[in-house]
Amino acid sequence: MNDGELLEAHEKLLGRQPDDRAKYRLLPLVMLFVLSGCVLFAATYLNRYSGHFDRSIFNENLLPTGSGPVDLKPDPIALGRRMFNSGGACYSCHQPNGQGIPGAYPPLAGSEWVNGAGARVVRIVLDGLQGPVHVGGKTFGAAVMPAFGSSGFNWSDEQIAGVLSYVRQEWGNKSKPISTDEVAKIRALTADHKAWSEADLLGVK
Amino acid sequence: MTSANPQANPNDETPVEATGRCPIVLLLAFSLAWLLVSGTLAFIAGVQAHTPAFMAGCPILTYGHTRALQDTAFTYGWIANCGLALVTWILGRLGGHPLRAANWMGVGALFWNIAVAAGMVGIATGSATALTSLQIPGHIQPLMLAAYASIAVAGVLAWCGRSRPSLYAAQWYGVALLFLFPWIFSVAQVMLVWAPVHGVLQAIVEGWYAQSLWTLWMAPIALAGAYYVVPRVTGRVIPGYDLALLGFWSLIFIGGWTGGRHLIGGPVPAWIPTIAIVASVLLLPHYIIVLLNLGGAFTRNPADREGGRSLAFISFGLAAYVLGGAVDSVTGIRSVAAAIQFTWFDEAQRQLAVYGGVTMMLFGTLYYALPRLAGRAWASASLARGHLILSCIGIVLLVVGTAGAGIVQGSDLSTAGVSFAAIATDVHPWLSVGSVAHATLLLGNILLAINFAMTVGCGRLRAAAEALSS
Repeated sequence: MNDGELLEAHEKLLGRQPDDRAKYRLLPLVMLFVLSGCVLFAATYLNRYSGHFDRSIFNENLLPTGSGPVDLKPDPIALGRRMFNSGGACYSCHQPNGQGIPGAYPPLAGSEWVNGAGARVVRIVLDGLQGPVHVGGKTFGAAVMPAFGSSGFNWSDEQIAGVLSYVRQEWGNKSKPISTDEVAKIRALTADHKAWSEADLLGVK
Repeated sequence: MTSANPQANPNDETPVEATGRCPIVLLLAFSLAWLLVSGTLAFIAGVQAHTPAFMAGCPILTYGHTRALQDTAFTYGWIANCGLALVTWILGRLGGHPLRAANWMGVGALFWNIAVAAGMVGIATGSATALTSLQIPGHIQPLMLAAYASIAVAGVLAWCGRSRPSLYAAQWYGVALLFLFPWIFSVAQVMLVWAPVHGVLQAIVEGWYAQSLWTLWMAPIALAGAYYVVPRVTGRVIPGYDLALLGFWSLIFIGGWTGGRHLIGGPVPAWIPTIAIVASVLLLPHYIIVLLNLGGAFTRNPADREGGRSLAFISFGLAAYVLGGAVDSVTGIRSVAAAIQFTWFDEAQRQLAVYGGVTMMLFGTLYYALPRLAGRAWASASLARGHLILSCIGIVLLVVGTAGAGIVQGSDLSTAGVSFAAIATDVHPWLSVGSVAHATLLLGNILLAINFAMTVGCGRLRAAAEALSS
């Protein structure tokens, strides 16, 4: 068989051949069954051991847990520390050591406001504080505390609760943490409130 | 189908030989030189595997070097040169025109072999990459890509400018492999050498490359040759030829997905090995179809008696190829893989595929092609017979020895109490069989090289004598 005959003979085989004698050909049928068997096995195996193509499944016998992305709760103290030290926030006036600056910014360490009623500190952070305020027997009045709620830095309830919980246990303070729910409740009560004064706050129980 | 008369064209010479003889024979000569280099290194590495003190005084030939050098010489020296030569020859003949761009092929052949030689020097002097099947230093790899393109031009032009619009199976595989190698080689280069991916992704890409080199490049080389030689020698059309197309496309589409098999139990997402296992099962129809199509290779009395030796090589290669495919599917099963993975069994599988399968089919095609290229029969029939016998014995010993070592090693490793020294002692006899096998194969290949040199060289001498006397 030379090259020309080789090409011609096989060319004919690939073309459609009229099935004149209605000859039954077993081979294609057998191959169809073999192929189907392989595909069946492949599909079953793939479905069973693929871990649903999850990139975090390393054991083929496990399946993803199906609860979707895990709801991660950050540590409120760690979040608070980060918020305290974020740009332009608390630390720039009250100082990283919580001592403030005598005559200008009141200290947070040992402050009766910080360690006092949660309802008051939440209000101060949410809406700010203006006018003279007495801390540890000294009067501060030159500076204005900005609002961190929706009219100012626009921190979330979780962030405000975090930063308050942080300052209430740092630098020797030993007060209870503030919960996110508490912040949310007060935010709803005091919507659109301007900066607080000492007198207003003393009225809050 | 009646058998064609082999006497119709006794020389069976086409314009392809007249135009392409020089670069094709050059590539074949290079390939045989690399085959001997690789065989020698395989023997050294084989001995070192069970007797580590062997050649320990020579820093260039420590075990890590010999293994990497052997792999490189075999893949890029032997398979690439011989495969490209024979595939271009087949594409040229089936194209029906004189071979075009033969000088491109010759230049490419020179540069390819310069690159491989430079790569070998690089590996021996310690600048090898740490990547399986891609140990050649990074700065040489672009040269290889360019040289490959230059060699492949002739085959691609023969396919583009063919005289018949239809294509035969040997052409499908031939053209596909010309284009597939640059793809897998360049992707591996970029992702592993130039801009390496990080962490476990590297192992995934590496597994893909090593496996694709075999399924998408070496296997098509072997099949292109076998699909051409078998019907020509037997004088019969391929049985079940309408299935051949399915066999071809399933190899091309599914072949590249089987790489993750080597990562079973590794730190990769479970779906990667799973898909590879599924792919190796889906490849089974490919092997069945190839066996059906090329079953004519087992014919005892072919129409073309001269081609009988080619058929003997191809039938052995075909059996090894199909067996290799079946073994791949079985060892893909996770419980089996757990017992034999990361042992010598991997090496046995690889030898069965690249030596038993691809190399034997290449030998068969080479025995068929060279008389037509050189214009005369092989110089010595007894050297050829010796090569066949030594190759068959060598491969059986090699695969059985290495697989035995793998099974012993696997069962020892699964037993917590067995010490490393005890494993080495248990594996020793099996690996000794392996090094005997390497020596046998090397001896066989020396016979082939002598026969080749006599056939090609004597033809030259005779032509020179005739030119002088006239």
